[in-house]
Amino acid sequence: MMVVLLRNLQNVVPIRRARLRKDVETLKRILGVQRFDMGIVCVDNRRIQHINNIYRKKNMPTDVLSFPFYEDLRPGKLPCALHRDEYNLGDLFLGVEYVMQQCQERSWDFHATLTVVAAHGICHLLGYRHETEEEWDEMFQKENYILREFNRLTGSHLEPLTKRCTGDR
Amino acid sequence: MLKSLTRAVSIAARLTNKAPSASVCRAAEPLVRSALCAPTSATTRPFTRSIWMMCSSNGAASDRRAKLLASKHTLPSCGCGGLHTEGDKAFVEFLSDEIKEEKKIQKSKALPKMSGGWELELNGTEAKLTRNLSGEKVTVTFNVNNSIPPNLEEEPEQGQKAEDNEPDIVSTPNFVIEVTKQGSKNSLVFDCHFPEDEIGHGEGEDESDIFTIREVSFQPEGEEDWKETSYTLNTDSLDWALYDHLMDFLADRGVDNTFADELIELSTALEHQEYIKFLEDLNGFIKCQ
Repeated sequence: MMVVLLRNLQNVVPIRRARLRKDVETLKRILGVQRFDMGIVCVDNRRIQHINNIYRKKNMPTDVLSFPFYEDLRPGKLPCALHRDEYNLGDLFLGVEYVMQQCQERSWDFHATLTVVAAHGICHLLGYRHETEEEWDEMFQKENYILREFNRLTGSHLEPLTKRCTGDR
Repeated sequence: MLKSLTRAVSIAARLTNKAPSASVCRAAEPLVRSALCAPTSATTRPFTRSIWMMCSSNGAASDRRAKLLASKHTLPSCGCGGLHTEGDKAFVEFLSDEIKEEKKIQKSKALPKMSGGWELELNGTEAKLTRNLSGEKVTVTFNVNNSIPPNLEEEPEQGQKAEDNEPDIVSTPNFVIEVTKQGSKNSLVFDCHFPEDEIGHGEGEDESDIFTIREVSFQPEGEEDWKETSYTLNTDSLDWALYDHLMDFLADRGVDNTFADELIELSTALEHQEYIKFLEDLNGFIKCQ
C-alpha cells in the first residue's frame, strides 16, 4: 500500500492535513506513482533556510526542497523498484511559512498553492529539473499536464509554479 | 662479653639490697616502671572502666549511655522530637543554595498564559485547561510528574563550554483531550503525547510531529478512570487519512502545534514551580519547621 508520510513540524501556519494528503495522493495517482511511498514535511522559514543552506548553500528560505530517493532518474521514466523498500520517491520539505507569505502578497489560496508547490516538488523527485531552457520547458509541460488533470478530477483551477516564477528552485 | 654482662647484673642485684646510690637508681628506674604496667593502659583504664560500668546489662544504665552518646556528641535536639545530625545540617545548607539557584533561573513566578481563551485549573501537579466553543466543551489535562524525558544529549561539541551546552529542562507530559458535545453522554477522548525524538531538536528528516495522538475512545463525561470496555482506537495501525482527520478535528478546537508548544511552556513552568515548592518543603521538613 502506498504511504504518504506527513509531518508538520511548525506552528506558524495552520495546515489542513487531510486535504494536503488527499491532494498529494491525487497528484501521485495522476503521475502513476501511487505504489510509491513519499514523505512530506511541513517546516517554517527558519528550518527550510537551514536545510537550504546545508544542501544547496543558499542561506534563504524557499517554498520547496526535494530529496529524491532515486537521484539520477531520467525525467518521464518511472523508478524501477524491485523490493518493497525501493518503492519510495523520497521526501519533500514544504516551506509552508514561505508559501503563506507569497499567498498573502498575491492573494492566492494557501492550500491550493501548496498543492501546486507539491506538484513541482514531486516532479523534482521524478527527475525533472529546470537548470536549462530545455529542462525548464520539459518540466513546465509536465506540471501543466499534472495540474490540468488535477483540475479535471477535482474541479480546481491550479496553474504550474514554473510559469509564475522562473527563478531557480 | 657474656661474662661481663652477668657480672653487671649481679652487681646491680646486690646494689639494690644496699643503700641506693644515685647513679644506679637512675639506671634502674625505667626498668621497673615498664615492668609494672604499660603506660597506655595506665592512662586509659579509668575511662574505659567508667564506660564499661554504664554498659552493664542493667536497663537504666544503658539508657544513660544512649543519652550520653546522643546529646553530648553528634545529635543535637531542638525539642521537636526529631533527629538533627551533622548530615541534616549540611543537607539544609545544600537545599537553601539549590532553592536560591532555582529561583534565580525561574523566569517568572506567574505561569505563562495559553492563547485562545483556555482557563487553567490546578490541583497539585495536575493541570486542567478548559475551553468552551459554541456548545462544545474541550478540556485538556496533564500531570507534570514524570514529564521530563531522560537527557539523551551527546557529548558537548569541541570548543563549546559545558555550561553553554547544558540543555534546558523541558517538561513534555502526556495529555488527555476530552471533547464533549451538548446533550451527549459520552466524550470523545484523545490520549496524546510528545514523541521523544522531537525534543532532540535535530534537523533530521526522521522527526515526528510536535505531538501525536496515541489512542482515541469514547468515555463517559467527566470520569476520572479510563473505561477499558470502550472500544479504543490505537493510532499505531491506523489509516493515515483517518489520523489526519482526527488531527484536523483537534486543530479546529484549538489543539494544534501552537497549543502544543504553549502547553510545553506551561508544563515546564509548572514543573519548575512544583520542584521549587518541593525543595522548600524538603528544607522545612529537614529543619523541622
